Amino acid sequence: MAGTAGSRPAFGSFARRVTPMPPEQRVPGAAPEKGPSGGPARFEWSEDGLTLRLLGSWTTAALSTLDGLWGGRERPVGTVTIDATGLAGLDTAGALLLHRLREDLEGQGISPRLVGLDERRADLLELVVARAQPRSAGLPGGGIHRPRGLERVGRVTLDWAGEGMAMLSFGGAVSLASLRALASPLRVRWRQVLQVVEQDGVRALLVLGMLSFLLGVVIAYQSGVQLRVYGGNLYVVDLVTITVLRELGPMMTAIVVAGRSGSAYAAQIGTMQVTEEVDALRSIGVAPLDLLVLPKVIGLIIALPLLTIFADVVSVVGAMVMSALMLDLSPGVFVRRIPEAVTISSLMTGLAKAPVFAVTIAVVGCYQGFQVRGGADSVGRHTTTSVVQAIVLVLVIDAAFSVIYSWMGI
Amino acid sequence: MDGDHASEIGGSTVLPADHPVEMSGIRTCFGPTCIHDNLDLTVNRGEILALVGASGCGKSVLLREMILLARPSAGQVRLFGEKVGSLDGAEANRLRRRIGILFQQGALFNSLTVLENISVPLREQTDLPLPLIRDIALLKLRLAGLTPDAAPKYPSQLSGGMHKRAALARALAMDPDLLVLDEPGTGLDPAGADALDELIRDLHQSLGLTVVMTTHDLDTLWRVSHRVAFLAERRILATGTMEELSESADPRVASYFQGPRARAARSISWNRG
Repeated sequence: MAGTAGSRPAFGSFARRVTPMPPEQRVPGAAPEKGPSGGPARFEWSEDGLTLRLLGSWTTAALSTLDGLWGGRERPVGTVTIDATGLAGLDTAGALLLHRLREDLEGQGISPRLVGLDERRADLLELVVARAQPRSAGLPGGGIHRPRGLERVGRVTLDWAGEGMAMLSFGGAVSLASLRALASPLRVRWRQVLQVVEQDGVRALLVLGMLSFLLGVVIAYQSGVQLRVYGGNLYVVDLVTITVLRELGPMMTAIVVAGRSGSAYAAQIGTMQVTEEVDALRSIGVAPLDLLVLPKVIGLIIALPLLTIFADVVSVVGAMVMSALMLDLSPGVFVRRIPEAVTISSLMTGLAKAPVFAVTIAVVGCYQGFQVRGGADSVGRHTTTSVVQAIVLVLVIDAAFSVIYSWMGI
Repeated sequence: MDGDHASEIGGSTVLPADHPVEMSGIRTCFGPTCIHDNLDLTVNRGEILALVGASGCGKSVLLREMILLARPSAGQVRLFGEKVGSLDGAEANRLRRRIGILFQQGALFNSLTVLENISVPLREQTDLPLPLIRDIALLKLRLAGLTPDAAPKYPSQLSGGMHKRAALARALAMDPDLLVLDEPGTGLDPAGADALDELIRDLHQSLGLTVVMTTHDLDTLWRVSHRVAFLAERRILATGTMEELSESADPRVASYFQGPRARAARSISWNRG
């Protein structure tokens, strides 16, 4: 029986492949293996092809080594005896396989007769037969409909539109809450606001300072290389201060804060959503908007302009250092040039964007946090989305500001 | 219900070991505070052992040490006769495969459906083809007393009782020799807890499992457990059947098992006579 030892009965739900082996492959003589562990689950046919001996351990761990040895064999007629005497072990998975084998044989008009199962295993098989999902019932769970093609385009469009509407309405709710806060400023949770200013403002100084300094260095270097050719070294001051104050300073700050704080808001509120803390707040009579969102919005409105000024200054210092090293522009000359290059309005046009960015980042982060449903993976997904959306919105709003400023002629 | 009955059942699977769990001289310390000191505990094959004790006495920690999720500060743990301390990762995993665990909160993976949750151990630990895995998972689902309608649902869509049953189905996925239940009845209504008790008994009888559970539920203790280990004063203060412990002369044991709630539980126990 060496030919079939180690073979795998391919039944279970792949019953159609089950056919007995042709006579020439039936090698006589091999005695069934026995022993406590018994090796992997397998079976062999008797010489007359009417008895199927089950061998090895028909247990979950040992079933794995059985695979398709049923291909291309003729089926016997009448009764087939399934001899379980040599079975070293049987658990529910093995019993299920045995049950499916019997079903498959019956399905092919062969009546199986099971012998050699001791009482305990017979009980187990009986239990499994009683609880196994009927073959005809099929497997549930295939009902998840995955849209394709046009349908998918339509659904995604609707999802986006719905998302946009939902975010707008969240923004509206935050605005209303802000109006209420304006009416009674004492009800604002200023302690939380201060925490936000510390956590998202003060603690961001180091990383923001580093990035801004490098930004200044890079701009000064790149523009210095070009300006030196024309002997216009001094104009590096104009270039750097205008780009940094008007555009790059506020934008850089907003992107850093979106990555650092917007994601944290989404993760914090999202986790509270999962653990039902948000519902707990509601039930205690605390509006989650007042406790979780408003302090963040107000805190960022305070912190972001300050961070922007800091980023502006550090960038200019970075440019100054680079100019001194590369363009022989002494810091004194650099500083004296600044008032001629920029006016206070350059600074203000840049700073005016900061509160808008602050509101955007805080609202998007909190909104995504409230969108979390279910568990950990949802928190991760919405945290990512919050950062992406916040950065995209910051860039779009920045472009809108440029358009508005050019209309106004600033 | 007693030990004789239990030993007849025996595991129908591989390599019977008479004591699936043997813990000796266990000492567990967190900084200066020790919650176990020179603790010994042996679990017999085929029994349902309940671990009881006051809240915070270290039941769950002991359970975690038993299932290789935590390491005691000192002492020896043997699982299925093998010393745990000297095992490498692969060997430890081989032992873990023989243990099914029902965590206190269920710990179902929220991003997967119930059927996928039950399939995870089978997919990770075996090379079985997917249709067969689904077939087996569905069988476990029904063994745990759920209907196939629950299969495509996500854990967040399940009631507390269904959640526990789904988690139990996942614990049974690999046909473990040892089933570890951490507070199985917690968070269930009395009817749900009763049904779960009955389910655990049924599964124990029909699958020949060894069960170790922690519980505070005196009804569960009376109805389900063969033997109870009482954890107090940093060690196992007493073991025995519920009858023995509730008639214990030791006041420390007696106070736990002879309160008014304990007497009420006993009077409605199914387990006796």
